[in-house]
Amino acid sequence: MSNTISGLTGSMLRVDLTGSRVERVETPRDLFERFIGARGVGAYMLFHELQRHTDPLGPAGKLIFLTSPLVGTMAPGANKITVSFRSPLSETYSFSLCGGHLAPELKFAGFDGIVVEGKSDRPVYLWVDNGTATLLDAGHLWGKQTHDTEDAIREELGDQEIRVASIGPAGEKLVRYACIQADYHREFGRGGGGAVMGSKNLKAVAVRGTGSVEVADSAALAEIAERVYADLAEHPKARLRRRFGTPEMVEGTNKFGFWATRNFTTGYFEKADRLTGPELKAKIFIGDNSCYSCPVACGKVSPVTRGQFAGKLIEGAEFETIGLLGPNCGVSDPEAVIAATAVCDAYGFDTMSAGAAISFAMEAYEQGVISREDTGGLDLRFGNGEALIAVAQKIADRDGLGDILAEGSRRAAGQFGVPHLAMQVKGQELATYEPRGVVGMGLSYAISPKGGHHMIAPTMGLEMAGDPANRLVGDGKARMVKDTQLIMTIVDSLAMCSSMRFVLGLEAILSLYRVVTGITLEQEEALLIAERIDNLERLFNVREGLTRKDDTLPRRFLKDAMPTGPSKGNTVPLDQMLDEYYELMGWDPEGVPRAERMRELGLQAEWEAAQGTPGR
Amino acid sequence: MKHKVLVVYAHKCTGCRICEQWCAQTHHGEMNPAKARLAVHRVHDRQINVPVTCSQCIKAPCIDVCPSQCISRNEDTFGLILDADECIACRMCVDSCVRGCIKMDADTEIPLLCDLCNGDPQCVKHCPEGALQYVPFDQVDRGFRQYHALRLAGEKGGAQ
Repeated sequence: MSNTISGLTGSMLRVDLTGSRVERVETPRDLFERFIGARGVGAYMLFHELQRHTDPLGPAGKLIFLTSPLVGTMAPGANKITVSFRSPLSETYSFSLCGGHLAPELKFAGFDGIVVEGKSDRPVYLWVDNGTATLLDAGHLWGKQTHDTEDAIREELGDQEIRVASIGPAGEKLVRYACIQADYHREFGRGGGGAVMGSKNLKAVAVRGTGSVEVADSAALAEIAERVYADLAEHPKARLRRRFGTPEMVEGTNKFGFWATRNFTTGYFEKADRLTGPELKAKIFIGDNSCYSCPVACGKVSPVTRGQFAGKLIEGAEFETIGLLGPNCGVSDPEAVIAATAVCDAYGFDTMSAGAAISFAMEAYEQGVISREDTGGLDLRFGNGEALIAVAQKIADRDGLGDILAEGSRRAAGQFGVPHLAMQVKGQELATYEPRGVVGMGLSYAISPKGGHHMIAPTMGLEMAGDPANRLVGDGKARMVKDTQLIMTIVDSLAMCSSMRFVLGLEAILSLYRVVTGITLEQEEALLIAERIDNLERLFNVREGLTRKDDTLPRRFLKDAMPTGPSKGNTVPLDQMLDEYYELMGWDPEGVPRAERMRELGLQAEWEAAQGTPGR
Repeated sequence: MKHKVLVVYAHKCTGCRICEQWCAQTHHGEMNPAKARLAVHRVHDRQINVPVTCSQCIKAPCIDVCPSQCISRNEDTFGLILDADECIACRMCVDSCVRGCIKMDADTEIPLLCDLCNGDPQCVKHCPEGALQYVPFDQVDRGFRQYHALRLAGEKGGAQ
């Protein structure tokens, strides 16, 4: 144990599916020093273990699961595990985070992470049991939905307390935004990690651990944890989230006109009343669920009332899910949104990309680009909740139009000859914030290394602080995006939940890090590490040939004024913000990191490796 | 009978397992829920979290079945005391517990018994939801009665 950082187990697993070999390897201490953990270490390993243009769905593609020193300790909200991979959806660098109880279980089992490589010649699952790991046959599990897979594995291993991450039929069928589902209703949601897993014939990872995570000063950690609980119990935002879950954001987002509606044709949904946090709490939610070591319990349990999953329960629907399957498809009926969510969860694909792919199809249908013949007879107008559920099922089955939408909205729109109708950046569908109504989020989507995504730099709250009108202007947004991005990079690399940021500033986060690891990380140093990670992610994409032209937004946000609602008349001043942002990051006007800054950040070798890539 | 006991309101539990963490930290100084003297069991398909704790049985089977008679209790708190030197690790106490709450410590190979933290149970103190309570024996019914009465009254919510 002496050669590792306190908080880490010191061991990782390397799983070669081609050769059916599982090897225990030492956790690279130096990488955890240079890149903190989880997202950061994953970025480094992915950059170095993949070649340029590695086929994400080929045997050379990899899935790198990582935790951090904080995971499994009393550090509040430190319950995430990341998976890093090249996305089959965006073909960029990507990572995804999953909460619940999987991450701490892996630490208790004695492992900081798992690198999965190669391709098995038959379906298998990985069984990680207290310091050991084996590949087991999954032939009988192939084809099963995610929850059934979890149940079957717990049953056959004879222990209901085992934690399982699995893919459903969508992952097996390589839906490009298939997710990896864990703990029933927690997901590695975005970017298509589930498809990568499916391409490798890896059906699931099951984990049992009963060991300890050693920390430098457990008494001091307990003391800080106690303070954080008290702060969270008092904090207005955390209290809202405790009561209503993430849908607490519905009212504000819509009221200020940045809730994506009808495939982002506007930012105000006139029928939002049925989807607000208080409304869902009163009429839909029947319970609360927490991830490990988190007092916020933002997970809300909802019964499914329609479709093949009627009578079952889901956790959610979350704010983003509601937004993209709801208003963005013109649907105001929460029960339709929940039924569609249940399909996504059971078959294992991202509710966000699914919602955006379906909303694309709805707009194309209303414009006559997609015919009733294409939809298999469905009247795919905005607002048709039954059609929403039916198309979700078609995606799950890769049936007809669903087969096209399973490729993601960029490819689907390209196939129909209407690329401008796909609301995506770099091939990944946008989150539910309409950027014309909150322009910093437009920049945030454009520069996100994993394609359109809201949690790289979630500036929406900051853009509203003080004067809400500030959300509509580009001034100062580059700085705001950069500052937020650096903090999020630290939070993700510590594998903490982003909800902790309501009460935990950087100083408090670093004090948690100190008592767990025994390492004092000054704020400046931590921010420098974050910048190193962000640049490394950028260099991965530069190596793939991405430049400024890829840091863009769908045309309507740049050219067409917001047609209705409180943000009416606005567009996104992207070029101005992008210039400023590149300048602040030390990148050239094409968005390529400059050699000098990369040397300072210790990324010279990576910078050199990224040079000479022909543009796409 | 004025001693206090642990009362579990499972309907309030969200499954954060902060109770397990404080138990393990208080007794062992370790980050390891497997060493806690209670556990939150999640019934996955029903999305229900049930804290499983010692209930301080009056005629405690764990005490009665122990062949080496090494389990006793603190006269003031009713918390369990293990004479570790006498324990033969036969696990009869584990089998006998009516709640299923007793675990074996993998390192010391002795059972993990709830000592109520000398009358200040840390699980109760740190439960963010009030799902665990430390209640005088003669009042254990009250929270449940309120919960069921409210349910019968057709209202949402539970014991406050």
